[in-house]
Amino acid sequence: MEKKVSFEDNLKRLGEIVSELEKGELPLEKSVELYSEGVKLSAACRKQLDEAQIKITEDNGSEK
Amino acid sequence: MPVITVSQINKYIGFVLKGDKNLRGIMIKGEISNFVDHYRSGHLYFTLKDSESAIRAVMFASAASRLKIELEDGMSVIVSGSVGVYEKTGEYQIYVNDVLPDGAGAASAALEQLKRKLAKEGIFDEAHKRPLPSLPKKIGVVTSLTGAAVRDVINVLTRRYPVCEVYAMNALVQGAGAPDSVCRGILRAESAGCDVIIVGRGGGSSEDLSAFNTEKVAYAVYNCKVPVISAVGHEVDFTVCDLAADLRAPTPSAAAELAAPSIESLYERIDMLEGRAGSSAMSAVKSCMERFSALDARLAAQSPENRFRVNKEKLANLEGRLKTAALRCIESRNAALERNIAGLEAMSPLKVLSRGYSLAYSGSELIKDSEKIQSGERIELRFAKGGASAEIIEKW
Repeated sequence: MEKKVSFEDNLKRLGEIVSELEKGELPLEKSVELYSEGVKLSAACRKQLDEAQIKITEDNGSEK
Repeated sequence: MPVITVSQINKYIGFVLKGDKNLRGIMIKGEISNFVDHYRSGHLYFTLKDSESAIRAVMFASAASRLKIELEDGMSVIVSGSVGVYEKTGEYQIYVNDVLPDGAGAASAALEQLKRKLAKEGIFDEAHKRPLPSLPKKIGVVTSLTGAAVRDVINVLTRRYPVCEVYAMNALVQGAGAPDSVCRGILRAESAGCDVIIVGRGGGSSEDLSAFNTEKVAYAVYNCKVPVISAVGHEVDFTVCDLAADLRAPTPSAAAELAAPSIESLYERIDMLEGRAGSSAMSAVKSCMERFSALDARLAAQSPENRFRVNKEKLANLEGRLKTAALRCIESRNAALERNIAGLEAMSPLKVLSRGYSLAYSGSELIKDSEKIQSGERIELRFAKGGASAEIIEKW
């Protein structure tokens, strides 16, 4: 059900949320909503780093 | 004079040449041309020339099989061998034992020439150098998959940046086929969706780097749509691949470190971002609360209870002022009255009498003129204390 989002995209989104919050022009409800999304994202990012397993694809160069 | 045959004369010339020490075991420098690889026999035939002259050369299969380099036209070489005659055609030629590439001189001159050409074509321009992606998803490595370079890159990335995918693209890194193989590898890594590509090989300075000093590899790096890090593993001299790349690394391990951030810095970045999100959300809540309190206070000020209280205070204040004003008014009247009484007292006749004067009355009229009274008339005298009746005896 949950779509697999890459670490890079999660971190990028977290950065966007922080900039949005730091502008300080949001209605309170939206700030709180963004903040909780940010907390979820940072937890997801940490988990992705904790569980990261490098993926290696070998291409021996032969024509497909 | 005896007549001899063509065979005899050629045989004799061959004999003479063989006997000349100056033509045996010699080394000759020149450029290869008309190269023919006689596959069936394994013998190699070519012409060795310099700017003015040429000599035929043959290398028999037994010697050719020991050759470490591949001969081709245009190659500057030093051949070793002996001069002899091919009796069938009456041609003298050099019978080659070994061929060595001619010194670094020619090669490095050619390389300098290539560097100048590529520089002129803008392949090394700083303006073309692109920044590396800060968070690469897929890192391409174009190198020999049996070499140390790919293992080094994977080791570094496994430790430093395990969130990525490594696309290890096999390529020949030495030999005649290497330049094409490297070019193909770059294209393939690019179309596999890599967002940064490491091209290179490991090893020391003695290894052959010629594949990375070719025009086609320089162009493949330059034309690659994603940034390329060159890691040819050669400290002394930059290859054209290094110069054309967006970034140069001294070793494949160093290239891997440059390609990706460390996992520690990522954890730090997440903590920092979370902290900033928290404090700005808190300050948003705080500023809303402050705005609310300010409005709430203004609203409370407008409530009926508060207005009643304010009016009551105003009333009490006015009452107070009224009282003070009234008091001040009475006091000033009192003072005026006291001043008048004092003045009145100063004017009282009783005060004069007390100093020894007397008042004389004719009836009820105070006598101020002797003309108003007659001799023998009775008058009344009033003193400060008491009074008396008197009769006028004489007047004047």
